[in-house]
Amino acid sequence: MARIRFAGVGKQYPNGFVALDRLDLDIRDREFLVLLGPSGCGKSTTLNMIAGLEDVTEGNLYFDDAVMNAVPPHRRDVAMVFQSYALYPHKSVYENIAFGLRMRKHAPSEIDRRVRDAARKLEIEPLLERRPNQLSGGQRQRVALGRAMVRQPAAFLMDEPLSNLDAALRISMRAELKQLHQTMQTTFVYVTHDQAEALTLADRIVVMREGVVQQTGLPDEIYEQPRNMFVASFLGNPPINFLEGKVRPDGDGVCFERGALSLVLPPHIARKVGSDAGRDVVLGIRPEDVDEHSVPRDGEVLHGRIASVLPVGSDQFLGVEVDGKQLFFRVGKELHHREGENVALSVNVNRLHLFDKASGKTLVW
Amino acid sequence: MSVAFARVGRPALLFVASVLFLGYVLAPIAWMVSSSFQPESEITSVPPHWIPHAPTAENFRAIFTTGEQAVTYETRRQGDPATGHFIPSTAKNLLPSMGNSLIVALAVVVLNLIVSVPAAYAMAKIRFIGRSTSVYFMLTTRVIPDIALVVPFFLFIHKLGLLDNLWSLIITYLAITVPFSVFILVGYFESLPDELDKAARVDGCSRLQALLRVFLPLALPSLVAVTLFTFLTCWNEFLLALMFTQTPASQTMPIVVASFASDFTISFSFINAAGVLAVVPPVILAIMFERYIVSGLTAGAVKG
Repeated sequence: MARIRFAGVGKQYPNGFVALDRLDLDIRDREFLVLLGPSGCGKSTTLNMIAGLEDVTEGNLYFDDAVMNAVPPHRRDVAMVFQSYALYPHKSVYENIAFGLRMRKHAPSEIDRRVRDAARKLEIEPLLERRPNQLSGGQRQRVALGRAMVRQPAAFLMDEPLSNLDAALRISMRAELKQLHQTMQTTFVYVTHDQAEALTLADRIVVMREGVVQQTGLPDEIYEQPRNMFVASFLGNPPINFLEGKVRPDGDGVCFERGALSLVLPPHIARKVGSDAGRDVVLGIRPEDVDEHSVPRDGEVLHGRIASVLPVGSDQFLGVEVDGKQLFFRVGKELHHREGENVALSVNVNRLHLFDKASGKTLVW
Repeated sequence: MSVAFARVGRPALLFVASVLFLGYVLAPIAWMVSSSFQPESEITSVPPHWIPHAPTAENFRAIFTTGEQAVTYETRRQGDPATGHFIPSTAKNLLPSMGNSLIVALAVVVLNLIVSVPAAYAMAKIRFIGRSTSVYFMLTTRVIPDIALVVPFFLFIHKLGLLDNLWSLIITYLAITVPFSVFILVGYFESLPDELDKAARVDGCSRLQALLRVFLPLALPSLVAVTLFTFLTCWNEFLLALMFTQTPASQTMPIVVASFASDFTISFSFINAAGVLAVVPPVILAIMFERYIVSGLTAGAVKG
């Protein structure tokens, strides 16, 4: 129904601020695409452009093959869910949901059928006569979803719709959104700054920063093969550990060196950096990519002093001081550690990331 | 000690202060109403009668019947005994002038809303260059005292050939009231979340429909505030009306009532009866919109 395509789209505000810098992006029909990034990265601007709420100041935006740049929001077949829900305070839940259909002049019987149908799916039937201020946050969220659902739009846009919910509700709503996407069979574009939300929901993730796309890919790709240090650090909790150092040739291979620390880089990395031995690099180690149980082998071990122990129920985070820098690792909670102890952690070198220090770009993928 | 004061002393003190304040505000009005029911002889008695000893409706009867009487220098002394025989020569202009005031005030209210509501919506919800500057520029036009504007206004009205015409008042009152109305409404519209505007437009509203179907119903308290402010400004305005109107055809109530005090002789009870009538329309308006007034005046101060 709707493929959304950005061709060199830019957004510059009258004051000169560039919110979006020449975006090329092809959102496939029925795809669940998540725009991920910190606040001010241009993700909401991108979403608002799809809705027609922000002007395109450069390039073209297409729905299928039609240029949409100058089409006002009410002539675009999109529905949107907002972070604040933006329910109409003076209308009942029923009227809130029906409003978009009324504006599009659907028959009253059709409106009634669709509103009740959506209310049943979202389990808000008993609330139809209430006003938004009589609802809880989760209920308001459902009404906002209902308002978008009944329209059966070509594209479903969501701007941080779960940010105002409490943690437990957020997790259960994620599952519902995923299910909604499957039943609605329409294109979803979802904006969030929450990496866990993005990883759970997305068919594809677009990571943005300061108006520029950093990486586009499947959730696993984004997590496993980040293109640069920003992407690597933005996904993962606790975030990836960075260690600055140099690469040196070592026998047949290449190793990463920083002070007393020396890690042998696996062949797939060594191949990429082989000719650049001696350059300044940044090593990335995900917190989960260490193992305490296996016997450390030479060149795959991190020695450090435990600076903090943070149990989180299912497992625990260790703050380990390595060569003057504190790194965080996730280890099993059955291991008993105390602050000040020395520890040797076996590093899963096959999962290491290596970035160029100057550009921040990956040297691996 | 302090606990006892907090429980008894503080409310008592506030009560006394409120009573004093209310007395200060309401005493002149009470005297106006009371004296409008007194004959001229009683009104001048010392000490004054707060409650009329011989209440009479003659002052009001005089107002509603003067239309048929020709009051001249010769006949005025044979006027109605209730007024102390002193009916102002312009008495018969009072009711028509109230009609004029009402027409002008209602016309300005309606035109003001038609202009200022879309203007305020645009200034609050559409980003354009010079947006905040224009809001404050509009407001600065209101720090210029009216007296400084009288001459330019007069020349303008004169050139348009509208002297002694109600349109002269409608046009100039709009110039006075629109900037302030826009300012109040901009503040209120800005307090309504942008996402509401976006939601309405994605839901299928054009800008105008978003304004009419979503923003206006929510802005009702501030619309009432603007309506009252505009109506009262027009109803009470004196200076411009004095300059632009010369005959009963266009004179408004404040001009005619003022003329009562500058006649050959003066009847205070008659003037006060006219004052009571002048207060009636604003009071009716205030009662009609009572439940919106407080929320309208504080609109924007608290998040809706």
